[in-house]
Amino acid sequence: MKMRASHLTVRYGAKVAIKDVSIDIHANQVLALIGPSGCGKSTFLRSLNRMNDTVPGVSVTGQVQLDGEPIYGPEVDAVLVRRRVGMVFQKSNPFPKSIFENVAYGLRVGGLRERGAVADRVEQALRHAALWDEVKDRLHESGLGLSGGQQQRLCIARALAVEPEVLLMDEPASALDPIATAKVEELVSDLRDQLTIVIVTHNMQQAARVSQRTGFFYMGKLVEVGETTQIFTRPKERETEDYITGRFG
Amino acid sequence: MAAVHTGSIATTPTTARRHSLQRRGPPALRGWITLDPLFRKVCAAFGLSIVSLLGFVVYELLRGSSASLARFGASFVFDRIWDPVAEKFGAATFVYGTAVTSVIALLIAVPLGIGIAIFLVEMAPRAVREVAGFLVELLAAIPSIVYGLWGLFVLAPIVRDGLAPVLRTTLGFLPLFTGPSYGLGMLTAGLILAVMVLPFIAAVSRDVLSAVPQMQREGSLALGATKWETIWHVVLPYGRAGISGAVILALGRALGETMAVTMVIGNSPQIVASLFAPGYTMSSVIANEYSEASGQLYLSSLTELGLLLFVVTFAVNGVARLLIWRMSRGAEGSRA
Amino acid sequence: MLSTLGFRTTAVLALAFAFAACNKSSPTPSDTQASSSAATQASGGNITINGAGSSFVYPLLSRWSADYQKVSPTVQINYQSVGSGAGIRQVIAHTVQFGATDGPMTDDQLKEAGAPVLHIPLVMGAIVPTYNLPELPHAIRFTSDALTHIFLGDVKTWNDPKIASANPDLKLPSTPVVVVHRSDGSGSTYIWADYLAKVSPEWKTKVGVATSLNWPVGIGGKGNEGVAGTVRQTPGAIGYVELTYALQNKLPLGEIKNAAGSFIAPTIESVTAAAAGALATLPDDLRYSITNSPGDKAWPASGTTWAIVYQNMPAGPERKSLVSFLRWTLQDGQKACAPLSYAPLPAELVEKAAAKLDLLEPAKK
Repeated sequence: MKMRASHLTVRYGAKVAIKDVSIDIHANQVLALIGPSGCGKSTFLRSLNRMNDTVPGVSVTGQVQLDGEPIYGPEVDAVLVRRRVGMVFQKSNPFPKSIFENVAYGLRVGGLRERGAVADRVEQALRHAALWDEVKDRLHESGLGLSGGQQQRLCIARALAVEPEVLLMDEPASALDPIATAKVEELVSDLRDQLTIVIVTHNMQQAARVSQRTGFFYMGKLVEVGETTQIFTRPKERETEDYITGRFG
Repeated sequence: MAAVHTGSIATTPTTARRHSLQRRGPPALRGWITLDPLFRKVCAAFGLSIVSLLGFVVYELLRGSSASLARFGASFVFDRIWDPVAEKFGAATFVYGTAVTSVIALLIAVPLGIGIAIFLVEMAPRAVREVAGFLVELLAAIPSIVYGLWGLFVLAPIVRDGLAPVLRTTLGFLPLFTGPSYGLGMLTAGLILAVMVLPFIAAVSRDVLSAVPQMQREGSLALGATKWETIWHVVLPYGRAGISGAVILALGRALGETMAVTMVIGNSPQIVASLFAPGYTMSSVIANEYSEASGQLYLSSLTELGLLLFVVTFAVNGVARLLIWRMSRGAEGSRA
Repeated sequence: MLSTLGFRTTAVLALAFAFAACNKSSPTPSDTQASSSAATQASGGNITINGAGSSFVYPLLSRWSADYQKVSPTVQINYQSVGSGAGIRQVIAHTVQFGATDGPMTDDQLKEAGAPVLHIPLVMGAIVPTYNLPELPHAIRFTSDALTHIFLGDVKTWNDPKIASANPDLKLPSTPVVVVHRSDGSGSTYIWADYLAKVSPEWKTKVGVATSLNWPVGIGGKGNEGVAGTVRQTPGAIGYVELTYALQNKLPLGEIKNAAGSFIAPTIESVTAAAAGALATLPDDLRYSITNSPGDKAWPASGTTWAIVYQNMPAGPERKSLVSFLRWTLQDGQKACAPLSYAPLPAELVEKAAAKLDLLEPAKK
């Protein structure tokens, strides 16, 4: 058990985004979160590394534990949570810096100063993200000059460089073409050995291909969570079945 | 959607469709009432008028300063003497005063203005943000004469009795902070200018920082960066070009500001290391002496000061343009 | 952001245009031809006379203009306070019918004018020293020597013997002297410098006389209010302002030892006395200077504001109206001076001035 959310409720002002969500996230597995737009799956994802803290008017009740430690609490530093729980966003968002500096950024703010060590970690992260061979000759060119798929893998490399224990991915392939999507999916499968992944996706085939467990969100509630094969073949809930068979959404 | 559209065209009566493609207006006028080209020509004329206006201004300034240009040549810029009685004119003291006061203004206003912008965009709650933002813009609307009076009656005594003694005891080893302070001088002028350009820098920087995509901040935070690291290493670099543009525009205003500076700088053409000492700026001497100037060479020299100021301001604006252009190009790059 | 940039460019253009507009000082044939149409004769016989120049005389001229309207309702006097130098330039450019100046036109300017220009004294003014020293029982007395060396920068503290010797009963402090002068070109500076040049050869050679000077020392304030404000703000400061401004604002004023050797307090009477004392030596063209006037009760830093008019102004209703107006200012108009703290002309000078107007348009008998 890597993370556990218990009775998690998130409100934006008066609006309840997710309500009473409890879920276990197993180590070295990929958990896929599916559901129609606005169902709360992204909100849930963002509450796992306290990214929602940046939204004005947000309030969180319930608890999330990382290795048994609560991440919501008066003594907890959200910055330290995010160093252990990384995140990749739907739209690639490289900094307007060089490819190298994009990846080195997290290391630098994490306190790593020694040049050789930084360079090693950058290369390692780029290899992990299957980007090294494509960019090794132009590490000092702008990250914005890469193609969309490369930019997203750069963002993944950036997240991997700080060696998080959990990686949250918010529809990481939704803006990519099929070839780039395949590369990202392949990457997700490969990364599972080293870390725990939670991925939000609209694409049910993708969820089926990359995840071991799947959770279905609907109208702010976690309707059902279980083995991916079970969810897609024998859903327990009616709403889940309706969704995966395409009857709504 | 497309199918519906095609269908609607097919059901439109053919006469109406043909009519819609023809030029409107009475048949006799149809040949030449073509508003688009006319509009284009009018706009082109407007555009050209700016160019010719600018050309005319430069021409007039050159013509007006021809006597001084012929008499003093390049030495005009470097000569320190400005003696209307002896008809010896050099601009060096004014160039120096303009430069020093503008630099003081920017040294104070740039960090402060960017700090205000950061506070407003990154930290302040919505209500504070709007009220403070309004106040900042209000600062820009205060007429410079009001700043001048405030500087003369409020700021100058504070500088003389408060700031100058403190600077003298703490930083007196620097020649910049030596000698007596009468309250009126380059330091006071620089401070007034700082207050005057502050809203420029703060307001434009605020807009620039607001335009930094939220995704940039989240990307940084998600890597375990603190808020401060995010602002310093990601948000500010992202808005760098725009903020530089704001600074250059502020510099342009500082260089040209006349009234308020005239009232607090002491109007004494000299080059002295001490910032407490009175100085003089290009725009101030023009404003002060033009109306009473007699003699062709005197007028011509004042006009040449105007030309010099024009050239400097024009160059500064040009740099600002370039930076804005670079920034917008950078924004497109990130969108692609 | 682009709009802000546009604003700056506009400001620069406006500045440059101000230059272009002010710079038409040399007369051209078309200017001369246009002179007769500069006064606009509207239908119904109303005549507008345009004048420009000295800002010192502006409050009085506004008053005169309003009063004269009652005397002669068809004549409108339009006066712009643009400064004496600009007034002279506008007269030479034929854009106004008359100018007003606190200093007479120089020989160079008269040459530039191309035709004889009449100087008609309108009113007297004076420049007075004001200072900022606390708690003195009465006004400081300045010898001309003390004043010269204060403004040359040689006298550095208030207890300097040059000041103290004339004020044995005052306990003057050792406060540093801070000289404040006009930063804008000004008739006040001209008169003050003219006085100092007459009493000090050193001033004459080192600094000279003009509306703007290369000051050896001190800080500049813009306008009377700038000088007065700076003096009020700065302990130990001394500056010079117009008498009218000083009286209206009740500034502390110093006395000056005049050419006759008596210490004189600046008053309207002592200014008129300065003109009276100098009458014997007035030049024919009335381009006189009455600083350091020999009169017993004369205030030494006194001056005059002149109206300047082309002597060859074409005959017609405009010339007639202008002359009538100027004649009126010399007579009834002088009564308005004292309430506004201006010094009226002495009677003998009024006669000489009226005689100049006769050259333009003979007086009605």
